[in-house]
Amino acid sequence: MNSSLEQSFVSQLQEHQNIIHKICRLYTSDEDAHKDLFQEITIQLWKAFPQFRGEAKFTTWAYRVALNTAITLYRKKTKSVSTIEFDGKIHKFSHDEYNYEEEEQIKLLYKAVHQLNDIEKALVFMYLEDKDYTEIAETLGISEVNARVKMNRIKGKLKKIVNP
Amino acid sequence: MDELDLLKKDWKKNESQYPKVSEQEIYAMLHKKSSSVVKWIFIISVLEIMLWTAISTLTADESYLKTLEHYHISSLMNIFTAVNYGVIAVFIFLFYKNFRNINTTDNVKSLMKNILRTRKTVQYYIWYNLGMIGLTFITIMIATFKYDNRINEIVARSSSTDGNTLFWIVLIGFTFIFFVVIFGLFWLFYRLIYGFLLRRLHKNYEELKKIDL
Repeated sequence: MNSSLEQSFVSQLQEHQNIIHKICRLYTSDEDAHKDLFQEITIQLWKAFPQFRGEAKFTTWAYRVALNTAITLYRKKTKSVSTIEFDGKIHKFSHDEYNYEEEEQIKLLYKAVHQLNDIEKALVFMYLEDKDYTEIAETLGISEVNARVKMNRIKGKLKKIVNP
Repeated sequence: MDELDLLKKDWKKNESQYPKVSEQEIYAMLHKKSSSVVKWIFIISVLEIMLWTAISTLTADESYLKTLEHYHISSLMNIFTAVNYGVIAVFIFLFYKNFRNINTTDNVKSLMKNILRTRKTVQYYIWYNLGMIGLTFITIMIATFKYDNRINEIVARSSSTDGNTLFWIVLIGFTFIFFVVIFGLFWLFYRLIYGFLLRRLHKNYEELKKIDL
């Protein structure tokens, strides 16, 4: 692949790297796994980049490829890791106003999200990213109705985990 | 507020807290393909030693062992074999270490350093093997001239005739050509197998050099 293509890819990815970090945050439980998945997604995006024709936005395309990687490719490699307990380390990203009760609840919520399956995590991720159901459905290759049903089920699951 | 909205609030708050991966680091990730080349070097070296072991086990029949005894190089050959396996084991370990290093590297500079190191290891490995082949060949040739009855007979017969010098020239010439052919075949074998992988590593190295400027 030629170097100008590579350059354009690297600069766009660098600019929008938060997408990948956020996915890693939901799919991994420690720093090493985060780095590992980040690299895996980067490589998959680069492999898929020649097919990206700029019809969609880079970010929309990146969401799709990155999530697919997290769901399929990464799952194969780290089946055993996916159930590791969330240790709260990822939550080091800080808080200005300290609300102990809320903080505890958020911690619990992240822990709960980590217990969801990979598709459910993808749905949560897109929801947190303010994507509407049309885009969620399109990215995950399911129908809009199905996406809504799944989302409601996830909300129920989370509620149960947080308030047993 | 439902649970997910609470999570969303926190999610947005952390937007700027993620680690920043530099362009250089992204380039390094893309050029990790070196790790698959290095993995192949490791795999092939293991397969190669298995091939040679299989060949030498299959061909080492009784008459071969007797010949070695007769040539007085039986124990010398055993020493060669033992040393050879030892040295090759060290090389295989180095190939594995290179593979592990490249796999865990995440910056351009050390990736380049690791590629260079791997190339050097492979080059040393090839030269070691060719050297060993040369040494074994020369040892066997000397032993043949010294102890082989048929050769000695021919030598004795020719020495008593007039064309003495010519005979030696032809004999040495043929031995030399035989040596060059054998050596050349092994050289070609290594060039074909490892040369291809080395070229890919080199290409990748050149691309990394451009990035690192």
